Amino acid sequence: MKAKNLKIYIITVFAAILAFTSCTKDLDTVPLDKDVVTSASVYDSPASYRQVLAKLYAGLAVSGQEGPHGNNDLSGLDEGFGQYLRAHWYAQEIPTDEAIIAWNDGNLRDFHEQDWSSSNEFITNLYYRIFYQISLCNEFIRESSETKLNERGISGANKTEIQTYRAEARFLRALSYWHALDMFGNVPFVTEDDIVGSFFPEQINKADLFDYIESELLAIEDLLMAPMVNEYARADQGAVWMVLAKLYLNAEVYINTAKYTECITYCKKVTSAGYELESTFENLFLADNHNAKGIIFPVAFDGIHTRTWGGTTFIIHAAVGGTMDPAEFGINGGWGGIRTTKTLVSKFLNVDNLKSASLNLKTVADYPLLYVPGGHQGWDPSNTNTVLASVNSDGNYEGYLYFADADNQFKYTDGPTWDVNYGDTGADGTLEQNGDNIVAGDAGYYKLNVDLNGLTHSFLKTEWGVIGSATPDGWDSDQDMTYDVDNDVWTIIVELSAGEIKFRANDGWDLNYGDTGADGILEAGGDNIAIADPGKYEIKLKLGAPDYTYTIEQFSSDGRIMFHTDGQSLEIAEVFEFTEGYAVTKFKNVTSGGVIGSDLTFPDTDFPVFRLADAYLMYAEAVLRGGTGGDAATALSYVNALKERAYGDQNGNITAGELTLDFILDERARELLWEGHRRTDLVRYGRFSNTDYLWAWKGGVAEGRSVDSKYDLYPIPASDIGANIKLVQNPGY
Amino acid sequence: MSIVASVFGQEISVSGKVTDAADGTPLPGVNIVEKGTTNGTITDTDGNYSITVGSNATLVFSFVGYLRQEVAVGNQTTINVSLEFDVQALEEVVTIGYGTTRKEDATGSVIAISSEDFNRGAITSPQELIAGKIAGVQITNAGGAPGAGSTIRIRGGSSLSASNDPLIVIDGVPVDNDGISGMRNPLNTIHPNDIETFTVLKDASATAIFGSRASNGVIIITTKKGRANRPLTVNYDGNVSIGTRTGEVDVLSADEYRSLIQEQFATNQNATDLLGSENTNWQKEIYQTAISHDHNLSLSGSVENLSFVESLPFRVSLGYSDQKGILKTSGLDRFTGAINLNPSFLDNHLRINLSAKGMYIKNQFANQGAVGSAVAFDPTQPIFDASSPYGGFFTWTQPNGDPITIATSNPVALLELRDDKSTVKRSIGNIQFDYKFHFLPELKAKLNLGYDISESDGDIFVPENAAWLYNALVGGGEKRLYTQNKKNELLDFYFNYVKDLGSFDSRIDATAGYSWQHFWRKGTSYSTNVAETIVNADTDYETESYLVSFFGRLNYVFKDRYMLTFTLRQDGSSRFSEDNRWGLFPSVALAWDIADEPLLGISELFNSLKLRLGYGITGQQNISDNDYPYLARYTYSEDNAQYQFGSGFVTTLRPEGYDANIKWEETTTYNIGLDYGLLNNRFSGAVDLYYRETDDLINFIPVPAGTNLTNQILTNVGDLVNKGIEFTINAKAISKADMVWEIGFNATYNENEITKLTATDDPEYLGVFTGGISGGVGNNIQIHSVGFPANSFYVYKQVYDEDGNPIEGLYVDTNGDDQLTVDDRYRYKKAAPDVYLGFSSLFQYQNWDFSFAGRVNLGNYVYNNVYSNNGTYSGLYNSVGYLNNVTTSLLDSKFSNPKYWSDYYMENGSFLRLDNLTLGYNLDNIINGVSNIRLYGTVQNVLLITKYQGLDPEVSSGIDNNIYPRPRTFLFGVSVEF
Repeated sequence: MKAKNLKIYIITVFAAILAFTSCTKDLDTVPLDKDVVTSASVYDSPASYRQVLAKLYAGLAVSGQEGPHGNNDLSGLDEGFGQYLRAHWYAQEIPTDEAIIAWNDGNLRDFHEQDWSSSNEFITNLYYRIFYQISLCNEFIRESSETKLNERGISGANKTEIQTYRAEARFLRALSYWHALDMFGNVPFVTEDDIVGSFFPEQINKADLFDYIESELLAIEDLLMAPMVNEYARADQGAVWMVLAKLYLNAEVYINTAKYTECITYCKKVTSAGYELESTFENLFLADNHNAKGIIFPVAFDGIHTRTWGGTTFIIHAAVGGTMDPAEFGINGGWGGIRTTKTLVSKFLNVDNLKSASLNLKTVADYPLLYVPGGHQGWDPSNTNTVLASVNSDGNYEGYLYFADADNQFKYTDGPTWDVNYGDTGADGTLEQNGDNIVAGDAGYYKLNVDLNGLTHSFLKTEWGVIGSATPDGWDSDQDMTYDVDNDVWTIIVELSAGEIKFRANDGWDLNYGDTGADGILEAGGDNIAIADPGKYEIKLKLGAPDYTYTIEQFSSDGRIMFHTDGQSLEIAEVFEFTEGYAVTKFKNVTSGGVIGSDLTFPDTDFPVFRLADAYLMYAEAVLRGGTGGDAATALSYVNALKERAYGDQNGNITAGELTLDFILDERARELLWEGHRRTDLVRYGRFSNTDYLWAWKGGVAEGRSVDSKYDLYPIPASDIGANIKLVQNPGY
Repeated sequence: MSIVASVFGQEISVSGKVTDAADGTPLPGVNIVEKGTTNGTITDTDGNYSITVGSNATLVFSFVGYLRQEVAVGNQTTINVSLEFDVQALEEVVTIGYGTTRKEDATGSVIAISSEDFNRGAITSPQELIAGKIAGVQITNAGGAPGAGSTIRIRGGSSLSASNDPLIVIDGVPVDNDGISGMRNPLNTIHPNDIETFTVLKDASATAIFGSRASNGVIIITTKKGRANRPLTVNYDGNVSIGTRTGEVDVLSADEYRSLIQEQFATNQNATDLLGSENTNWQKEIYQTAISHDHNLSLSGSVENLSFVESLPFRVSLGYSDQKGILKTSGLDRFTGAINLNPSFLDNHLRINLSAKGMYIKNQFANQGAVGSAVAFDPTQPIFDASSPYGGFFTWTQPNGDPITIATSNPVALLELRDDKSTVKRSIGNIQFDYKFHFLPELKAKLNLGYDISESDGDIFVPENAAWLYNALVGGGEKRLYTQNKKNELLDFYFNYVKDLGSFDSRIDATAGYSWQHFWRKGTSYSTNVAETIVNADTDYETESYLVSFFGRLNYVFKDRYMLTFTLRQDGSSRFSEDNRWGLFPSVALAWDIADEPLLGISELFNSLKLRLGYGITGQQNISDNDYPYLARYTYSEDNAQYQFGSGFVTTLRPEGYDANIKWEETTTYNIGLDYGLLNNRFSGAVDLYYRETDDLINFIPVPAGTNLTNQILTNVGDLVNKGIEFTINAKAISKADMVWEIGFNATYNENEITKLTATDDPEYLGVFTGGISGGVGNNIQIHSVGFPANSFYVYKQVYDEDGNPIEGLYVDTNGDDQLTVDDRYRYKKAAPDVYLGFSSLFQYQNWDFSFAGRVNLGNYVYNNVYSNNGTYSGLYNSVGYLNNVTTSLLDSKFSNPKYWSDYYMENGSFLRLDNLTLGYNLDNIINGVSNIRLYGTVQNVLLITKYQGLDPEVSSGIDNNIYPRPRTFLFGVSVEF
């Protein structure tokens, strides 16, 4: 009986457990999130291939699956700094004469000091971005093979389309491997033949990697679409040729073998493909630069759809600071980070002939103010841009204001409110509290004087000019300046000889300014201003409220000069002060039509990775370096094509004798400033490390110093040396 | 109905009635066993029984909560017995996984703290009730925010990347401790007054029954229940408290700051022009004195003599808290409710335990960015600026009047212009059926159906004129809505067989069963500007996992002195691939009750002396943010991370990194312990030594570049060892009728070492960086390295001049290669203390009681990130056009630029904290119908003694970076019992 009962228990228990055991199938879960699919099913749909391809391109533009940050592609790295293009830009620009950065994040300063180590987080960012991109490309290439497409029953137009995608993925992988070769040298090597997992990839040497990149690019050349046929922002043959040209141009650096002839071959493919130079240089760097001609391969950004803290968001925001008006750049505020060095400015201008630009041009000085509300500014007594100042704090105020309209009316207020306001009842020069509005008369630029002690005022319409022994007409008559309404300055571009100048109003000496003490602040009747060297100059006179200031810069009509100098010094005494070093105004989130992009934080501006102008310059350089298949005349015509675009005329053109390798390097700096080529160019010219070519703060000292040649390559990050036993560090690190 | 066992010799039929000795009421369900046999029965609803026994038999009457009684049958045919209530019984039964055990039979390291021993005056956070009470258990609250959570570590963390939190089981339902959106502390679901006991299972022999989630210990929380045959009792507890700030970060005063700026920037008018003329103490401006109150009302009792139900004990409670934080604009309103019903049916063969707890919480979160901003904001600026379009708050602006986007935000504006609210509803509940088989009362079947559901709704609003979200083009500000739903379901089914084998002088208690759990969660987040023209985020997720388990336990007690426990659990987790899905977790423990050993004859001196030996393997699979780490997946991008092809934008699909072979992390624990009680339990306590080794650590490490679809991955790499000693003593220094003084003290020493980290054993391998700091971006200050404790600090050794001042940028060349490189960093100390101590005292004299409790941490080091990030000259001025204040540490360090990795910023964070101090008075029977009134006053966070220079060294990560300061709270309360 006991045994029987036991049996019943056992059966009951078994039945119960069996009933529940079936629940173990619950353990086979699949993701519920509609944003997640398993790799087992993702490639069943042809549309997915396009979306995965888009991710490969987006790998250059955004940092994760949420913009501008969130759901990061990588871990342990900052999303802003870790974005591909930004990490690449840091590595290519900050260690060169083209850029210096005012931020002190982590080991960021290592870049301009050229003393980075294998633990530098920014180098680590770049390295992992490159290899992330490579592994993503590998995944797609693996999953889009002929065999796999056939297995999945994909055929016809879909299949053809996907095969093009696959070739583009191979291009993107080759591009990243080229970055790896250029910046890291001998790197781990993985292809679509490796599986996803954790293994120790072999380190490939530079020569083999060079061969691999070359063979890949040659293999896909005919698989990609012809130039300018593919959808915007996707790679085509032009992009392949550009990477090949780059690879060959730098082959001596990479593999100690000259390949200039091959470089010329591929430059010629580019130049004969039908690309045209964009006629307006600055359009290449604006919010609508997807319409600009001559961009062979961009990284595309968009204020709404493609948001990142890297890319052009970084380049545009970080370049704005000091007195720069963010609105002019189509952004909500500058980050005050990157400027350029005097060495770079000197590629455009004779820096010895720059005058006073280093002084701070203040909009409002620290003097007692009298406010001038009126029709010229919307009757706003709190507007500090329309004020007079009392330099001696004695109740006598003066200043200059521009009245755009005839019969402009205004009043004076003793403070930013209407509480105490003065008008001139009867227009008799005597002020009355709450008196009638004052009427100026003609439109123009007026000097206003108010004596609050005696309650009198006067105003005088002025036209300004420069005069002096340095000017074409000497001290006899002045050269008229023109008023720039937007910037509230009088300007003139004039050919000067060595000598002196002064500013005077209304073609007479009643009202004139010189600079006593040469401190950049003008005094009425002050000393003459010396001009040391003859040349063409741009002179600016800034009046407004005292103090009055001016700048004199040697003028170049090279339209590629895009510096903001107001309030910026040329010299850099303090690396972390944005106002030291000229600011660069090249990239903007404003369209060629002057319209701000779709968002103030995230620009629409695309980044031009490869441009036709680069191909022109590579062609010229390869010819000069002895490559065959090209000719000097064509080289000269290419360079002059760029010059003519920059100058708008042939004044900047050079002669065959002037076309030298040094000229090319400088011209690359002028044409391709901040476009991510500089480190590679300087290394190729032997002017990066171990050289007397110096610039401010190179090597961490103000005057610059030469650094060890090991810095021509970046170190492989310590974390990967630790993770992969097969890696050998680059020499010297 | 009873089973008649085999009978030998003469048989006698015996019957009778069992009653409660106290009031004579019949006791149903009493076990009656013929001693030395398997023959037995139980009493019916009226307390009657009948049994047939052999001659010379002895009957053993036993019932939970009552003293055992043995009666020799002799010739009697009617034996009526009245059982004495066992006053110690409640303490003697401890809750363990899937059941209870008699304390004296327990073989593992199990510590139970019941309500009368809780820290007093803990108002919202249940964790605070036991802080410092248990050796080996370290509780660090996350800061002073109302309802803040706590980090609980039992015997040091056993994981690096997986969770180190213990498993928390509330009334049989393992709860979600992963955090609930919009709620600071997941345990806030229960009002502290509703908790009866905390039971902490520390060693593997106790925890292994929970298998894969037990590596970091288990905390079992039992809530108060009604009891049968008890009169209706009503309790009210209420208190009012005042929270005050205890100090502030030392920064320059406005005048000191002005002179410093003028001196530093004598030649840079751009900087000096920015100085204002005010004297603002920003830290003072963001804090307030916080007044809070808390109420809890409970009713408990039992409904008797219903038609189908023998007895229906119940307890119902309602709670309400209104808490304000000391950081302005922070606070919470919390409503809690709990109900427990424990009816018995079918002659007490079926007991049902129905339990439900609910919580409704309304949070108001302060913008905690204000804490850091208040340290850094220029003290010469005013709070308000009438002409400021940014809510009237002073704001750093660009020349065109727009805010400087990267400037420090006005701390008061951060608080006042952000409305961050959430409402969270959560309920945890279960119904347990406990059926004692009619034909075999030793066998019980238990079914436990439980749930844990929560729902959060959050709502953040920042107006368009808030400077930090200003956008002139499209309109700024923020409207963010987020939701989260979680649903965890539980089914446990198991059999429990308890049998006294009298003839073998043995007792067995066997349990075997099955458990199924489902964890599901879903969330959304939608954020736009105020004008709703720009969508900044529109994300959602949904994920789930399952855990299916089979478990068994055998307790065997021989001669009441020798105990053996064996447990086995097999867990299957959906988080791993089919090949790695199942894990087997065994444990075995032996105990010897030495005091009862007649040979030794020490029972006079020792009330108890028990030696315990335990061994077990537990697992860890709690990878909270990823339910599919083994699966190859692709993820779609959000609409703002698309890529342009042609004139359109394509949503991208990203392949995710994964480790197809990821599996359980396993911790093997060895424990040797001694429980003691001597001199009539005047001194009692325990000593434990443990050694815990975790293998196949689930670790987030860099993969070799290019090999996976990410740069770092969760994989099983590395081993970790924790070893330590715990010691507890509780003493009754005075134990008289009108005077009692009890003292408790416990000490824990824990040592943690990583013994393996990579698959390669490369001695050159530095380790895995961790411990992100403020300052720069993506910077880490800690490292996991082989041969060192987890989270060791990795810093340069600062060089000092002859006056003892640090020389900026000069460090010791620790590797002796004559150059200063990153390789000169060294591993210096760690965040976890070497030793932590807890102490408490309770003194009662007549109606007065006075108690205090505190903790000491020794050897915990803190990286002062507030100083390293706010103490440099270069931080004073940003050329975009704003100033920042600095900490006074700058006056000592004189550092121009941040030196984040200098060990100058490492400080010994050892401290003594007096957590609470309470004085109470009991008024007995003064009002008719009120049985007890207690009045009390408590001070929390009374005293902190430390050499640490920052605000508070108690930071579980070891990185002090502007935590919400812990307030000092003065609390006045009353408890009334009717």
